[in-house]
Amino acid sequence: MNSVITLTLPGEIVFTRFASQTALKAAEHFISTCSGENVSWEFPHAFELAVSEAFTNAVRYSERHSTPTQPVIITFILGQQRLTVTVRDTNPAFTTETPLPDIDSFPERGFGLHIIRSVMDMVSYRRKNGSNIISMSKQL
Amino acid sequence: MTITETLNGSITIVAINGTLDAASAPELLMSPAINSASKTIVIDLENADFLDSSGLGALVATSRKKRQMNALTILCCMSPRIRRVFEITNAYRLFPIFDERDAAVEYASNQTSRT
Repeated sequence: MNSVITLTLPGEIVFTRFASQTALKAAEHFISTCSGENVSWEFPHAFELAVSEAFTNAVRYSERHSTPTQPVIITFILGQQRLTVTVRDTNPAFTTETPLPDIDSFPERGFGLHIIRSVMDMVSYRRKNGSNIISMSKQL
Repeated sequence: MTITETLNGSITIVAINGTLDAASAPELLMSPAINSASKTIVIDLENADFLDSSGLGALVATSRKKRQMNALTILCCMSPRIRRVFEITNAYRLFPIFDERDAAVEYASNQTSRT
């Protein structure tokens, strides 16, 4: 049976590290419950990085659209050899079809979704009941 | 995150300790070494435990600012976790990167003496 961990954080940038460190801990716990032996540091780091990116995107998007601070809900689903995390917010809908920035133009932003896609096996976005839900998962 | 700045001749070494993410990136951009004119800097990441795209963005902004001042931004002592972000984004192309601080400082000194 899957175990589920849910974390609700204020949509404020100061909570970014809290979110990413919780993701790291959840992934490390998942590895231990799966008797994961010789699992690379890249697995927990992928979740630490992906949650940092998704949480930051949610908060920044809210700031750009001058919406009142909304909570960001992060859910970890510890399945059979697969860890899934969803990041949910109630900001206006957004597009995930963003081009990779041209690194030679010294871009300061725009890498978040590209990093998430690079470190995860599966990434999906859906709009449901007024919420943005980005789902990210990786097989052990 | 804490930032320690050390002057080494005409080079400033900026050592980052802790997390470089969206919450802490503005602090780096406000640090004196980043904003002092025409000073080449070596950013030592040995004690940086985490970096995401916002942290990377602050380093890229630093490099761009220094280039405008005709100065360099050199990175050193990246952990594999931080190097991974540079590899995913190809950002390693924007910086001279060294495994050791001494090598980074030597490179910075040589480059500075040429200008």
